[in-house]
Amino acid sequence: MASAPSGGRSHEDELVEVELDDGLDDAGEDEAGRQASEDVELHLGEAGRNWERPPAPALDERIDGLVFQQLDVDYYVGPPDKQLYHTDLLEVPILRIFGVTEAGNSVCLFVHGFEPYFYIESPPGWGPDECDVLCNELNARLAEQNKSSRQTRWCLKAMIETKQSIWHYQAQGKKAFIRLTFATPLLVAKARGILQTGMSIASIGFSGSFMTYESDVLFALRYMIDRNIVGCNWLELPPGSFRCTSTSLKVSHCQIEVHANYERVVSHPAEGEWVKLSRFRILSVDIECAGRKGHFPEADKDPVIQIASMVTVQGDSTPAVKNVMTLKSCAAIVGAEVMSFDSEAEMLKRWRDLIVESDPDIIIGYNTSNFDLPYLIDRAATLKVVEFPYWGRLRRNCLKMKDASFSSKAHGTHEFKEITVEGRIQFDVMWAIIRDHKLSSYSLNAVSAHFLGEQKEDVHHSIISDLQNGNEETRRRLAVYCLKDAYLPQRLVDKLMFMVNYMEMARVTGVPMSFLLARGQSIKVYSQILRKARQRSMVVPNLPKIGATPDGVGYEGATVLDAKAGFYRWPIATLDFASLYPSIMMAHNICYSTLVPSPEAKQMAAEEIVRSPSGDCFVRPSKCKGLLPEILEELLGARKRAKTDLKAATDPFMKAVLDGRQLALKISANSVYGFTGATVGKLPCLEISASVTSFGREMIMHTREMVQRRFCKANGYNADCTVIYGDTDSVMVDFHEPDCAKAMELGRAAAAEVSATFTKPIKLEFEKVYFPYLLVSKKRYAGLLWTNPDKHDKMDTKGIETVRRDNCLLVRNVISTCLDKILIDKDVNGAKAFVCSTISDLLMNRMDLSLLVITKGLTQDEDKYKSKNAHAELAKKMRKRDPATAPNVGDRVPYVIIKAPKDAKAHEKAEDPIFVLEHGIPIDSQHYLEHHLKLPLTRLFEPLMKNSNELLSGDHTRSISLGKASQAAGGIMKFAKVQMSCLACKSPLGPHHTSLCPNCQSKEAEIYQRMLGNVNELETQFGGLWSQCQRCQGSLHQDVLCTSRDCPIFYRRKKVQKDLTEAHSLLSRFQDW
Amino acid sequence: MFEARLTQGRLLKQVLEAIKDLVTDANFDCAATGFSLQAMDSSHVSLVSLMLRSDGFDHFRCDRSLSMGMNLNNVAKMLKCAGNDDIITMKAEDSGDTVTFMFESQNQERISDFELKLMDIDSEQLGIPDTEYAATVRMPSGEFQRICKDLSSIGDTVIISVTKDGVKFSTNGDIGSANITCRQNTAVDKQEEQTVIDLNEPVQLTFALRYLNSFAKATPLSTSVILSMSKELPVVVEYRIAEIGHIKYYLAPKIEDEEMEENDG
Repeated sequence: MASAPSGGRSHEDELVEVELDDGLDDAGEDEAGRQASEDVELHLGEAGRNWERPPAPALDERIDGLVFQQLDVDYYVGPPDKQLYHTDLLEVPILRIFGVTEAGNSVCLFVHGFEPYFYIESPPGWGPDECDVLCNELNARLAEQNKSSRQTRWCLKAMIETKQSIWHYQAQGKKAFIRLTFATPLLVAKARGILQTGMSIASIGFSGSFMTYESDVLFALRYMIDRNIVGCNWLELPPGSFRCTSTSLKVSHCQIEVHANYERVVSHPAEGEWVKLSRFRILSVDIECAGRKGHFPEADKDPVIQIASMVTVQGDSTPAVKNVMTLKSCAAIVGAEVMSFDSEAEMLKRWRDLIVESDPDIIIGYNTSNFDLPYLIDRAATLKVVEFPYWGRLRRNCLKMKDASFSSKAHGTHEFKEITVEGRIQFDVMWAIIRDHKLSSYSLNAVSAHFLGEQKEDVHHSIISDLQNGNEETRRRLAVYCLKDAYLPQRLVDKLMFMVNYMEMARVTGVPMSFLLARGQSIKVYSQILRKARQRSMVVPNLPKIGATPDGVGYEGATVLDAKAGFYRWPIATLDFASLYPSIMMAHNICYSTLVPSPEAKQMAAEEIVRSPSGDCFVRPSKCKGLLPEILEELLGARKRAKTDLKAATDPFMKAVLDGRQLALKISANSVYGFTGATVGKLPCLEISASVTSFGREMIMHTREMVQRRFCKANGYNADCTVIYGDTDSVMVDFHEPDCAKAMELGRAAAAEVSATFTKPIKLEFEKVYFPYLLVSKKRYAGLLWTNPDKHDKMDTKGIETVRRDNCLLVRNVISTCLDKILIDKDVNGAKAFVCSTISDLLMNRMDLSLLVITKGLTQDEDKYKSKNAHAELAKKMRKRDPATAPNVGDRVPYVIIKAPKDAKAHEKAEDPIFVLEHGIPIDSQHYLEHHLKLPLTRLFEPLMKNSNELLSGDHTRSISLGKASQAAGGIMKFAKVQMSCLACKSPLGPHHTSLCPNCQSKEAEIYQRMLGNVNELETQFGGLWSQCQRCQGSLHQDVLCTSRDCPIFYRRKKVQKDLTEAHSLLSRFQDW
Repeated sequence: MFEARLTQGRLLKQVLEAIKDLVTDANFDCAATGFSLQAMDSSHVSLVSLMLRSDGFDHFRCDRSLSMGMNLNNVAKMLKCAGNDDIITMKAEDSGDTVTFMFESQNQERISDFELKLMDIDSEQLGIPDTEYAATVRMPSGEFQRICKDLSSIGDTVIISVTKDGVKFSTNGDIGSANITCRQNTAVDKQEEQTVIDLNEPVQLTFALRYLNSFAKATPLSTSVILSMSKELPVVVEYRIAEIGHIKYYLAPKIEDEEMEENDG
């Protein structure tokens, strides 16, 4: 390094060192850092034509205001801006709000002057003097903990405020709390620790510990709550309230960079004109790597060979930028911009520039958070492209990556790389889909087949390398594939309305959009409770964690009435409680702040309190209105408004927003109950959740009792009605009324009568009748749903094997076809015939392999499974064969059941479907019949026929095929010779015959005809499938490469191919023809 | 028309017991030469070949060759109803879809008919070409059965090595290892207690014990068993059924490469 060969080189060396410094001290943004960023600036490549945002208008801070939609809020700690925050501190927290104006310009707003704080309960008799003493004591303690810091003060002030805790009903009303304000957010946690463990202050004779209030609220969220800012709403800075940064001094890549004091930011509630969305930009990314054979690509060894990027402006239907960067030359692609590079480092740098130039607000992709983005960063580090990790919004900030994990009851633990890209929201479409939808496979292929109705080709890792090492045409092929992979996430986002729905959810719950994906459910409810508490001058305690309760120490759940199983060929009315749990909480004023502990409840007058069936007491609303009921009222009221607006709306976009909102409101209202019952959550209160369910149980029983008593012959009705089933929030009533319209009439009458006996707003609604209705057992039923007497709306099923994803497709298909036949065509015999023919196909080995694939999620490392699970063992086996294609933790493992020796364990019978296809391993059709079809079919047909077993053992089961053994399967087949048997009667053939035995000679022509017909049919089928795959890959002149495990066409194509070869060889046995 | 009468009904019962663990569904072939079956076990690792010659039956008639598909478990269920000393007769029409089993007690006092529905089984006819084997061992079938049973409590595979002195069975398992050697022994008077080795060259092969144990179910059919082996060829485990035929089992050896593949991928 002593003799740097050229100026450029030494520049780079300097850069390395600078960044190392930066990495060590991320808070310190010094002059050297500024220097580095300007060097980076010089490397920016030429801008693409349509990549840039529209030019930002010049802002005159005295005349112009600034209005923008904020998308993300974070903060950093730095030296104070003395103009906007008058303080003597050396380091203060500064909030950054990133957003987009209506014209589509990006904005970075620095908010100064907001100070972190929390509350403690004031000991009795404390005044301002004692507060000062406490403040000094805290300062002294914190100074001890932060010796290296140059900070002047830590605890800024302690002030007495009148507040009320939301925990339990406070008969005496408000009391004194002390609000402690600190210099930086980190000190909040430290001070909380000191106060919770306890302290003694001799000068005022105090000794003890404090319960802290609202001490675990994230700083950015605290600011949003205090200033009534909700996620993704619009903010306004009036003229004169802010200061612009001139272009040369900007620290961010945003077009507009402004500073303001925290009080000057005006927040607009998301109503009226402020419902709109800004024209933010979404970047969708996909990369391709050249892996080595048998290995999953590793960033320190395998190059990135292509990067596809699509930039879409919100509101536009097509991407503004379609770009693919390739390593080595690539032939042109119509409609896309191809950029080829000779060196990987150049390509990575250019891609970084693309991000900076196109300045996306949201980065999406499929599994990008676990693969694409970390891979790019790791790869750049391997290649020592030091300028690479600077595509956040802040010029000087290097991207930081760390391992993180997210666990939740619903989704298990999932590990991922957390990459901080300041100012740009990362939205991994795969995780959003996993959270919101239950599917049997989450590969991009399966997901796009499910939602977009199209397959995509799946190119195997090893083929990718071959394509890359070919010529520019093969690389073009890969580029087309890569572009498609980048486009699909965007289309999924559009189709599933992810942006609109997530932004509405952020607005309703008041948390930034980035929280919604990265955090659990509870933060959403917590944010709403904090907001509401603030309005009412209440404070939320930070309870010590009680940890998970051992199993069994819960509370009783909802009630399920016994099902009177059967096939009802007449209408069954369904009475539902609308929003059951929220309405119970509202009706009985159930809340943290109204809960009366039982000793105190005894002293209160009976008319002041409501006692729940589980024995807990809550004060009546006249005494004190609960916080949760108020939140729920607002949520449900807002939902009603949104629904009314939805009906009135004509603009499709407005409709989408409103629909997203009413959905978000519904989900939020329902999650309040769950929040109170989450024992590992922020604020668990089992008294609340137990009371809510106990009211629910009581209401269901009451409804049943009342309906059966009222609607009977004694009261002049045609028949005694019976409640045939009831679950959680619904009751099914059989009025024995054959006419649909009359049954609806009765249902409505019953709902109204029962509703009248409940406290408002609890309401029993009549919504639908099922006609006919097949009730199998508890939680399992199917029926045609009617909401008006003229025509049924749809088929509704619950708990029946049409949906459960660990079933193979065969079961789902059979069951749903049977239901169609039984319920819609009312053709039970047709359903039986269909079952028989399907079983026969299965036994005759005519079944498509894709129908037999079972998938199970690999939730933990294979070795951690205690017992030998089929899918875990298979994953292990596949890893030995080829680690590149083996499933990883979190993946769903597809497998089929193969034939095995009699005493083989279940896990020895699972095999990879592709391996089975390639090696011609026989499928254990008996296993599918016994273990997969039998139970669902008997359950389904039990109410319909006397002996449902005949479906499984009738004549149709006596034709089976043992399958053609293939040599590739190994075993004895390596040695055995196939003896030819007669093609007609299967008896062994003598040495002089090749096709038919002497007995069957007479039928020769007929049999030849049949064989020929078979070959022709298979050829047509294969041709059709082949060209379908070619169309899917987008080229009709090239071989099909796809080996997608999720695509039914793939299995079918392979199967037909094999059958065709066999049919050909049979045909060739007729020598004389 | 197919008709076959067997005085020793017990024999048919034993045959069924000897194959039903390996094969669930199979075609029985009836021809003028006899009643036979060739089938792979369901996992395609081993092959069973049964031959009951027509001259071994008391009465045998077969007008044209027939292939009758049966579920062996169901056949066994019916044959269980026959007494050990019953005379069994099988009957089938040329184009019928059933087979009839008739059981007559020795003294003709009790006659029962069982009719089994036939299945249409689509499978290939398989056979292993005859070859000269490098080593042939004849040993008491009970001894062989016991060795297989004992070794399978230790390990999953057995290495069979034949030298001119004797045949050695060895295995390895998690808990330890085991070796059993049977020496050539022709001195005993009774032929069925002899161990006779006919050797061209020494052989050592590895097999899955699970299958050998299934083969040993044929022990009641014969007092001795004949093992024929050559390098890299399947072993033949043959039980000769006096005066009527044989049952042969073929099992592919475990090949070193495969082991490697399984371990290292």
